[in-house]
Amino acid sequence: MTFLAVKYLLARRRQTVLMLLGIFFGTAAYVAISGFMLGFREYLVEQLINNNAHIHIQAREEFLTNHSLDHSFYKKAYDYIFWSTPPSGRKDSAIVENPQLWYERLRNDPRVVAYSPQLTTSVIFSKGKATVPATLIGCDPLQQTKVTTIGEYITQGKFSDLAVGGNRVILGDELMNRLGARVSENIFLSLANSAPIPFKVVGIYKTGNKLADASAYGAIGDVQRVSKSSNKVNEIAVKLVDHSQASAIASTWAKLGLEKVQSWDQVNANIFEIFKIQDAVRFLSIGAIMVVAAFGIYNVLNMTVMQKKKDVAILHSMGYSTKDIVSLFFTQGIILGFTGVILGLSFGYVFCLYLQTIPFGGGPTAVGTGYLMVSFNPAIYVQAAGLAFLAATIASVLPAYAAGKLTPIEIIRSGAE
Amino acid sequence: MSLIAHKVHKTLGEPPTKVLTDINFEIKDGEFVALTGRSGSGKSTLLYLLSSLDTPTQGYIEIDKHNVSQMTKLEVCKFRNEQMGFVFQFHYLIAELSALENVLMPAKKAGLADKKKNYAQDLLKQFGLADKPHRLPRQLSGGEQQRVAIARALVMQPKYLFADEPTGSLDSHNSEVVMNIIREANQNLGTTVIMVTHDVGFAKQARRQIHLVDGKVVSS
Repeated sequence: MTFLAVKYLLARRRQTVLMLLGIFFGTAAYVAISGFMLGFREYLVEQLINNNAHIHIQAREEFLTNHSLDHSFYKKAYDYIFWSTPPSGRKDSAIVENPQLWYERLRNDPRVVAYSPQLTTSVIFSKGKATVPATLIGCDPLQQTKVTTIGEYITQGKFSDLAVGGNRVILGDELMNRLGARVSENIFLSLANSAPIPFKVVGIYKTGNKLADASAYGAIGDVQRVSKSSNKVNEIAVKLVDHSQASAIASTWAKLGLEKVQSWDQVNANIFEIFKIQDAVRFLSIGAIMVVAAFGIYNVLNMTVMQKKKDVAILHSMGYSTKDIVSLFFTQGIILGFTGVILGLSFGYVFCLYLQTIPFGGGPTAVGTGYLMVSFNPAIYVQAAGLAFLAATIASVLPAYAAGKLTPIEIIRSGAE
Repeated sequence: MSLIAHKVHKTLGEPPTKVLTDINFEIKDGEFVALTGRSGSGKSTLLYLLSSLDTPTQGYIEIDKHNVSQMTKLEVCKFRNEQMGFVFQFHYLIAELSALENVLMPAKKAGLADKKKNYAQDLLKQFGLADKPHRLPRQLSGGEQQRVAIARALVMQPKYLFADEPTGSLDSHNSEVVMNIIREANQNLGTTVIMVTHDVGFAKQARRQIHLVDGKVVSS
């Protein structure tokens, strides 16, 4: 019945174009909005995965509960202890206890690509009259570049220059500006009550994230000396072969000791929550467009069925079955859906290509491509086509079945012309 | 082989109104039968029962030794497509299709559109429409539209032609043309024609008349 369905659609050009526009706009909007939103998201996730370690093993962080101290005070003397003032507070540790055990464990795990022990401490940076409190990250420079992409963000100097030792530091771009320091100059680092220690600036890095760029990197030995905590580390950054396994592996490792073990996605759980809300808004807004488009198809097809009653009667008399009649009207919806989807996907794709040419550099990811980031993930196109088809199919099923229920004799008796 | 009505009754509406009562007759192959009677006598209802478009309340219709009510819907559709042609008072052409496309619609259903194309063109030529196969129904006169409708009914060379007041909406000249075509189909092709009419003149052109009064056959 495709032949006749096409004839019907071509005969009602204006209505056909209006129905097509609904599906077309819905599909194109889905592709463009999703491409834009997911493009930015993919970039952000990529940054989260690549710039940071996949798993962070950090110093113990334990919150006291009402019964945390039962065993310590009473062992098993009582079944239940009632505290007049229940214990509260934290039982933290500033360092990773027994890091050697972790190093051995990580060295022997085939899922681990590399790990880097770190000692992060807050220090006061000063140069002349400028003093800036900031975070100093002590690390093994060679291991750190294997675990994170920090090496790629060096704008002056080399990250490996830290490995030479001898009080060297690489400043973040933001911190450098605040201090007014330059490469090869000396700056001073001090803890709250200690004398300032001179450090030489050997490089600058710029990730585009102002928070990250307000820190500094040094060799772990130097940082341990400054903070007077020899051989101590408060974090071990780990890179895995497969980042998608990070969450599961982190959960397993968390059970091995008292350290706080978190994967990259657990650390950024709030960002993923925002993604979910974004998805809901995206589906709701596009859903609304699709519903309007579907109603358009439903109304026009319903009207067509009413107008074409005599055709239904004569087709029945020629031997066309109820299935053929249903197919005649259903096919119209499918043709509209298919054409609208093809046009919508094509336009959406071209529009996304255009979006990619729009300069975009003011945000936190200013060091990205410098243009709007757009996703061309095939899943977006499949979802857009699926949604549009679903809308067109549902919208045409009801009128088609209504047409199928018409009996020739009723139409002839009612004198339909 | 014949078309037989066995004790056929038909009631319509709510409360049920008897439209046809105890109809019994046989129409043999090649006959030209006119169903006559006043308006409301039940002749159109009887035609639709005989042609399988409607079902009797009681009794049954037998076509070529097949009880229609025992055939599946698909079998009825196939039989209608291959063995029956319909002409109504109004042409009921599909407005979006050309004259030739309208004629070929039954053949399309049977998957014989290409095979029947030449025959369809011959029919249009016979009916004086040789130069108008690609015209849309709205570009044809009333008489031409009805001739296209007859060509459509005959394109599958059906065994049975059911006509419901085929001249009802035509002037006398076009009515004469249409009647000639139907008569020729009966004489030359051997098509069994069952025609509803209340035009006495046209009814006399049939070889047999079945006259209905208040839903009953009074002469057959």
